[in-house]
Amino acid sequence: MKVHTKKFLLWICIGIVVAAAGIFFMVNSRKEDEKYRVIFIPKVIDEDNDFWKLLIEGAEMAAAEYHIDLTIVAAETEDDYEEQNALIEWAIDQKPDAILLTPSSFTETTLYAKKVTEKGIPLILVDSEVNEDIADTVIATDNEKLGEVEGSYMKKCATEDSQIAIIGHVEGSSTAIEREKGVRKGLGEYEDRIVDVVFCDSDYDKAYRLMMELIEKYPEIDLVAGLNEYSAVGAARAIKEKGLHDRIRVVGIDSSLEEIQFLEEGIFEIIVIQNPFKMGYLGIEAAVEILNGGKVEKHIDSGCELISNDSVYTEENQKLLFPFREE
Amino acid sequence: MAGNRNRFTVLSLFKSVRATMLCLFALLIVVTMVIFLLISVDYTKKTVLENSTDYTSRLVRQVNRDIDSYIDYMENISSMIIQGGDVQKYLFRDMPKLDAQEVYSRIVTQFNTVVETRQDISNIAVVTPRRDYIINDGTDTLNENVDLQEVEWYKEALEGEGRILTSSHVQHVIRNNYKWVVTLSKGIKNPKTGENEAVFFIDLNYKLLKDLCENNSLATNSYVFIMDGSGKIIYHPKQQLLYNGLTRERTEEVLGFDHDGYFIAEGSGTDDGKLYTVSVSEKTGWRVVGVADISELMKNKKETESLYMLTAAILLCVAMLLAIFFATAITRPIKELKESMEEVEKGNFENTDVAVGPGSEIDSLGNSFNLMTARIRQLMEQNTYEQEEKRKSELKALRSQINPHFLYNTLDSIIWMAEGGKNKEVVRMTSALARLLRQSISNDNERIPLQKEVDYAGSYLTIQKMRYKDKLEYEIEVDEDIKKEEIINLILQPLVENAIYHGIKYKGSKGLIKIVGYGEDDKIILKVIDNGIGMDEAALKGIFDKSKESEGKNGVGVHNVQTRICLYYGAEYGLCFESVLGQGTTATITIPRNFRE
Repeated sequence: MKVHTKKFLLWICIGIVVAAAGIFFMVNSRKEDEKYRVIFIPKVIDEDNDFWKLLIEGAEMAAAEYHIDLTIVAAETEDDYEEQNALIEWAIDQKPDAILLTPSSFTETTLYAKKVTEKGIPLILVDSEVNEDIADTVIATDNEKLGEVEGSYMKKCATEDSQIAIIGHVEGSSTAIEREKGVRKGLGEYEDRIVDVVFCDSDYDKAYRLMMELIEKYPEIDLVAGLNEYSAVGAARAIKEKGLHDRIRVVGIDSSLEEIQFLEEGIFEIIVIQNPFKMGYLGIEAAVEILNGGKVEKHIDSGCELISNDSVYTEENQKLLFPFREE
Repeated sequence: MAGNRNRFTVLSLFKSVRATMLCLFALLIVVTMVIFLLISVDYTKKTVLENSTDYTSRLVRQVNRDIDSYIDYMENISSMIIQGGDVQKYLFRDMPKLDAQEVYSRIVTQFNTVVETRQDISNIAVVTPRRDYIINDGTDTLNENVDLQEVEWYKEALEGEGRILTSSHVQHVIRNNYKWVVTLSKGIKNPKTGENEAVFFIDLNYKLLKDLCENNSLATNSYVFIMDGSGKIIYHPKQQLLYNGLTRERTEEVLGFDHDGYFIAEGSGTDDGKLYTVSVSEKTGWRVVGVADISELMKNKKETESLYMLTAAILLCVAMLLAIFFATAITRPIKELKESMEEVEKGNFENTDVAVGPGSEIDSLGNSFNLMTARIRQLMEQNTYEQEEKRKSELKALRSQINPHFLYNTLDSIIWMAEGGKNKEVVRMTSALARLLRQSISNDNERIPLQKEVDYAGSYLTIQKMRYKDKLEYEIEVDEDIKKEEIINLILQPLVENAIYHGIKYKGSKGLIKIVGYGEDDKIILKVIDNGIGMDEAALKGIFDKSKESEGKNGVGVHNVQTRICLYYGAEYGLCFESVLGQGTTATITIPRNFRE
């Protein structure tokens, strides 16, 4: 046997051992994967508002599920788009792997949302949209459908002589625009019974005041639609205070403890709830999917549910209305 | 079997026996290793799974027991409160207001103590269908929008005996509460009527259940959840996700278990699936379910597997090195034998003996080979010797033939000369004859110096010249430098004889024979030139013909000369005749110079 053949074989053997050892150690010390860093900018972080609270909870729970490093920042108030825009710029500077955004304004946020995508950072819009189609995906309640569900119920209660008022939240926001559109669609032939559309700027007190004004202005008013929690609750407070709930039927969107109690009391006939928890959760899930190179749909509907005052405590509705918290 | 020569064998796949052995060794080793690995990996997997199942089963049973005793404890609290009698007293007896107040505050204190000390109890309350109630510390009120008749568990507790344990639900009976709880309720009998006229209930939050489930987590990515007998989730670490339809749980399959057991839920893709271990509580009908990622359980398996792999690789290397060593050692004698055989094939029989060990088949092959080569060598030597002998005897036979006619004629001439009184001539001729004879008889040596051969031819010519008188003349011109060269004897004389009898004899006038000798390169050229009648083509062709010659008069003929030169020196040497009819013939002998036998 030639000497170099022997050496060659020896090297092969050493090679095999080294490779095996390498694999052995690689398997044993599987390296911690780098966590994705995601920044979520909702309109507001409001512990008293179940909608935002749940939306953030959903995002946080998904972040825990998918091992995401999630940072949540928001402006002081829901309609402060300037501060939100500043936050978007800040977020871009942080160079996160993805940004989740609930734009405060349908129009004013667009420019800054664009900056995100221009930097090549995946942008996921949650709950609300902007006036340009720039996001990788939008996870939101189909707001028009939401309004339509509300409107359809109102249609059943309306008559030829009804006077209908709509209390919106933030004028010009995509959700308000679409919901109003939906309500009108749902009302069908009674659309012309709408006597007024007002906006409370997502403020209970303003909604309350506006409702009072409406009662003053239109004494015959018999149907009121709130387009979000603030407007619905504000209206309900006013009606309860005036003791007019036998005459004025109020329907609301979103849920909160107060809203549920108004529902139990029968001040609300129905509420149409979104699923903010699911929205937040799906938002992060979509980000993960995008970051992992997967495809996500352009629009993901997180769904809505109509809950009437006699079905609050059915098993299914309990699950939807009351977030499970282990306190 | 005629086709045996090219029969297919394992050996024919490879270049050498060693390669064959190595490959087969390698194959055997690898196959054995792989089989061993597969079996041990499979076995490890089974064992690990068995152990995991065993472990989780015990764990989940333990959680179940803990929950049972927890519920027991709660039942004890309720029994204690119910049997304390204060509640009945307060609810069912008409008492003076002052007394009632005292009893009420006693109950509230008791309730409060319980709620304060037990973090896991959200509410503790007594509620009658008439909406009298004592709730917690007395500050909470009944939710006025709730119709108690529509609250399932309340109705059941009121109408039935024993305790009612709900699944997870939102407690909405108490105003502003709306917490997710599990409610344990029991009817309270009015001692007067013997009927249930109130319901006592404790709301359990998830603090303790969660602790029980979480503290008994099996591994990372594993969890424990609790489900009631109807498939509703009591507690699940991802309860909120389940409620929102964002994740699923295999409640159906778990519900199928009436007794403790386990099942493996197949995963999809890279997911190895999950191990579900179910423990069913006799007391509550609840099912405590432990869920663990099989891949997580198999983490140890992976480590073991890679350890196996490493060991296998090292063993493989060692085995291969040993295989190389042994294959080389075993095949070395074969290789040596082969090399020796190749030498023999080339005709080299020297130093072909192979080293032979004590006893294997290869050794006996080597032995036989050695014997065979030795025998062949012996035979060859014998053959050479015999050939040599044969040639020698042939040569002897050839050269011993001196033409008797010549002898007779010479003697006849001598007689004539003696009678004629020519004493001088007689002496000359006789001495020449004597020289001739002595040379031809006494000289046993095959080789003689050229000088002697020339002298011999000279003696012969002297005799012939005397016999033919004026008809023959001769000249001898041999270079001095070749006179000492040794050549085989009796090659010139026959040619001279041939020249006389075939050339000069029939010539009318006087003939001349000339012997010329000189060296040319490494050859010696000897020429016998006559100016006789010459030969035609046919005669030239027939000159080497033995049959023709045998009838000729000269014994040691031209043919013999040619044969002997060829025998002795090789085929490239020999005789050559040139002749022109009527002018003469030249016979040329070419032999090597300095020839060594």
